[in-house]
Order: sequence, then structure tokens, then C-alpha cells
Amino acid sequence: SVQAHKEEDNPQKTMEVNGLTPVLDSYDYDLIVIGGGSGGLAAAKEAAKYEKKVMVLDFVTPTPQGSSWGLGGTCVNVGCIPKKLMHQAALLGQALQDSRKFGWQFTEEVQHNWMTMTEPVQNYIGSLNWGYRVALRDSKVTYENAYGVFVGPHTIKATNKKGVEKLYTAERFIIATGERPRYLGIPGDKEYCISSDDLFSLPYCPGKTLVVGASYVALECAGFLAGLGLDVTVMVRSILLRGFDQDMANKIGEYMKDHGVNFIREFVPIKVEQVEEGTPGILKVTAKSTTGDQVIEGEYNTVLLAIGRDPCTRKIGLDKVGVNINEKTGKIPVNDEEQTNVPYIYAVGDILQDKLELTPVAIQAGRLLVRRLYAGATTKCDYVNVPTTVFTPLEYGACGYSEETAVEKFGEENIEVYHSNFWPLEWTVPSRDNNKCYAKIICNIQDNERVIGFHVLGPNAGEVTQGFAAAIKCGLTKEQLDNTVGIHPVCAEV
Amino acid sequence: MGWEEKQVRGYPEFVRTAQSYHGRPIFALFCGDKDAEGRSWCPDCVTAEPIVRKELHNLPDESVFIYCLVGDRAYWKDPNNEFRRNLKLTGVPTLLKYGTPQKLVEEECFKAELVRMLFTED
Repeated sequence: SVQAHKEEDNPQKTMEVNGLTPVLDSYDYDLIVIGGGSGGLAAAKEAAKYEKKVMVLDFVTPTPQGSSWGLGGTCVNVGCIPKKLMHQAALLGQALQDSRKFGWQFTEEVQHNWMTMTEPVQNYIGSLNWGYRVALRDSKVTYENAYGVFVGPHTIKATNKKGVEKLYTAERFIIATGERPRYLGIPGDKEYCISSDDLFSLPYCPGKTLVVGASYVALECAGFLAGLGLDVTVMVRSILLRGFDQDMANKIGEYMKDHGVNFIREFVPIKVEQVEEGTPGILKVTAKSTTGDQVIEGEYNTVLLAIGRDPCTRKIGLDKVGVNINEKTGKIPVNDEEQTNVPYIYAVGDILQDKLELTPVAIQAGRLLVRRLYAGATTKCDYVNVPTTVFTPLEYGACGYSEETAVEKFGEENIEVYHSNFWPLEWTVPSRDNNKCYAKIICNIQDNERVIGFHVLGPNAGEVTQGFAAAIKCGLTKEQLDNTVGIHPVCAEV
Repeated sequence: MGWEEKQVRGYPEFVRTAQSYHGRPIFALFCGDKDAEGRSWCPDCVTAEPIVRKELHNLPDESVFIYCLVGDRAYWKDPNNEFRRNLKLTGVPTLLKYGTPQKLVEEECFKAELVRMLFTED
């Protein structure tokens, strides 16, 4: 529910804007978007279509290691895009091995060069950063590379990297500031550890790596690093992929273990020290068991922290405008129209409480919000049955309920799970695992055996899942699925 | 020390010139060859050139503007010509900041705002 925002009398008259007192009913902009990532840019471009005067503020606070990047947000710069490219690099390594079994002959052992991979990846990202700037300029959206902070009602202060401050006012705001990786809060973490913010532009090969965490970020990174031939260890506090179907999460872990990734379970790092400087150097990690007193030590070239991400909502002046946040998590609660408790301030993307942290969700939410604001539309963002994919070495695509959540919501006796292992045809010749790929659907017996959960573990899981997501949105039932003839020979026919 | 212009023709001359200015910001405009009357076979290049030239005064100090004629129409249409292969050019006119992913292609070069952004912003 939205609470009415009580404005103090004439707040504007007590503020100076570049020496002039602003008039309440004429703002500098119709809309200011704070954050130039997936959600922010989609909203800004959409608003420009309706001839609104829009500004985007985007600023990347450098990481403790000094990494920074251009316009586009996490997905483009330090998330989905470089991740998928490096995952592809690892898959190609596997394909090279398989190729011998298909008749390709080469005598040299194949090596991987980190710099040869990162250069074109970074160049591609650079072209995307530039493309967004061209798109914004072309749509007459004002973009400033500056850090936005609310200083009063309808007013934001933007500080650029030279420290120059400017004030702007707008009728409405969209907060789309996204998140940044969390640190452990132990000695040596900020000085010596890296995060996903640093990994994709690392100017040297990470070498023997300890990945701390069991999030999809941790497992995806551990997965491709191992696929590139590096010695990788994952240190897990408790379970893998919290929030995902645990049956699938365990299968992913097993596959990674069978394919050379070391796991240290039920330990957390308590100290990171530098043994030797270098690029990379050598770090010593001391870790303590979560179940007893045992303490272990290990040496690694690189320690990658992937223990979670925190919303960038604590230092943007939300208290000055009265926007409520969840004090514990930093997330912003919104109604089903992405509106905060302050009627003229909205929010989209990863910072939202209880919503999925995915690029397409942020884009959809941003676009629909703007259409509702300026084009009289009424469609709200549908957060149900959103498909996702985890790009671990064995990819995992999912849409709908996990088995645990389905049991919890509908009761074990009311759901039916159909499942199957499958062996991709392409894996037969090179004798790759014949019982690791797996698919299952969860059906609601009381509703015509409606498919309420879809899970697939296998190559190209993302491509496979996309079509099923559309079918599930249309109300796919088990019978309809059975009546759909399969394409042969593909994994999806299972 | 303002900016300076160098006019070159063909890929080897372009590369030599760009390399000789290593360390300075280099901007390049690639156009189709011009005939004896000074008209290019590329109509978009004819449109873009004056627009780009009008923004040259915005170039940062010390920078070099290389005006490069790529060749005749047949050379350009060859999908394997050196500009396509090595510089990854996809069309003429192309205006780019050498050594960065920043470029404007074809109709993008008609927009003074975008040309100015390329010349003046990081």
C-alpha cells in the first residue's frame, strides 16, 4: 500500500539551486533515473519515446581493487555478458577435447591464454557502453556520469568524478541503483580479495583460485575458471544455490566435483594474508569450520568472494525524501506498480524487495512502469513464472516452482513430479557422462496436472527453457506436453 | 597546440600514419574515393563530410584527425578488404576514435550531436 507523502510547507523555498529558488511546478526534468543499468536505461529510453525530458545519472564507485566500468550497469559490464562469454570460452575448451573423438587431429596440447580472452570481451563491453551513450543521446536523454543523492523533495545532487556538484529537480524519480558484491568483513578481505566486479577485467590470469560462496555467481565463476584449466576450490558455508531447487543444486555440485572443481564444505574464511606480492601473488586463507573448532589453511593465487550482493540504497539520501527501505537488507519495498512509499519515487531492478534479480525482469518492469506513467497503459510487470538459467558447466534452466516450494505450497500429495535422465546425442561419441543430464516437471494434480515447475540440467539449458516458459505462461498441462511431438534428436525432446 | 589533419588514401598509408601519431588521440573519417570533380562514389559520405568537418573545432588539443579515402567502390564491396578485415569497418562513412570501441557508422555520422559527443567526451 502507498502512504501519502506529507510535504513540509514550501520545501523548495528553503533551498538554493545554483543561486535561484526553484519553482515547484516547473522541474528541470520530467523524470530522473538514478542508475544506468538494465532497468534504468530501459525506463529512460521508453520515457524519451513519449517525449519526456529525461536524465540518467550513472556512476560506478571503483572497487577496493580499483576496477570501474562504463554505462550499462552490472549485466553488461560485470555480470551476464562477460560471464556468458567466459562460460563459452570454457565450453569451447571442452569441445576441443571432444573434437578428437569426432576425428579432428591435432598433436599439441591446447592451452588457454587469459589475456587473449579478456581483451575482446572487454572490447565488446566497450562497444556496448558506447552504444548506450549513442542511444541515449539520440533519444535526447541527458546522461551524466555522476553520483546522485537526494537532498530534498524532488531534488537530487549529482557529483561527478572531479567532485563537481550540480542540483537537479524532477517531477518523478526512478531508483535503479542495483547492487554490489558483499565483502566478508574479515582481515584482508578488501585488500587482497577480488569479486566479480574485478574478475572479468583482471589484467592477469587469476591462477589457482579459491571461490568463496555457493551462489550462482560463485558456481558459474568457479565453473568457467576450472573449464579454462585453472585449479579451482569452492568454499561453501552451508548449501549450494540457496533458493533454487535443491535436488538440482546438488546435481550441479556433483557434476562440478566430478569435473575437477574442489569443494570445501561447511567452512568460512576468517583471515586472508598476503604471502607474496604479484600479479597474481600468493594469498594464505585461514578458515574455520561451521560445525566445530577445526581450522584449516590454504594458499591460492586469487581469492574470489561471491557471497552475495547488497543494494546500493544506503548512501543515496533516501532518508531526505522519506523513502522506506528494509533496514536489514537495504532492499526497497514497492507496490505492484513499482512505487515506493513516496508517490513520486519509483524503483526497479535488483534493489526491489521480494522480486527476482534478473536483467529481463528489470527491463520489463522499467518499460511497463514508464508506459503506465506516460502512455496511459495499465499492464503491470508479471513476476510469476519467470524463467532463469544458471550457466554452470552443466547448465541449469528453470521456470516456476522448485520441488520444495511446490510441496510447501500445494502439499506433497497434490503434486506429481515427472523426471528423466537423458544422454545428449553429442555426448555419446566422446563418451561423456551418460547419466548426468536430467529434466523434471512438477505438476499440480488438482489443476489438470498444470505444469507449475520446469527444470532441466544439460547443454543449452537456457535455449531449451525459453520456449517452455512461454508454454507455462499459457497454462501448459501434462497432457498437452505429452501430446506435443518431440524434435529429434535434441535434448529438448525429453 | 590545437589539432591537426592528415589526409591519406588506402589501408597501408592509414596504418603508417596512425602509428606515427601513437600516444595522441586519433580520430578517423573513412570515405569512398573521390572522382576528378571531387565527388565520392558514396552518397552518404558526401552528406556526412561537411557535418563532421563543422564539428572539428571541438577536437581536443593534441589530437589528430585522419581523413582516409578507402578506395573505389569495387574495392570497398569486397568483403575481404583490409579495412573490413583488420579495422572491422562495416560501412562508409565511418567516424571513429582509433584504439577504442567508439565509432559512428553511416547515418549516425549525419548527427552533429553524436559527432560532437565522439569528439568531446570520454
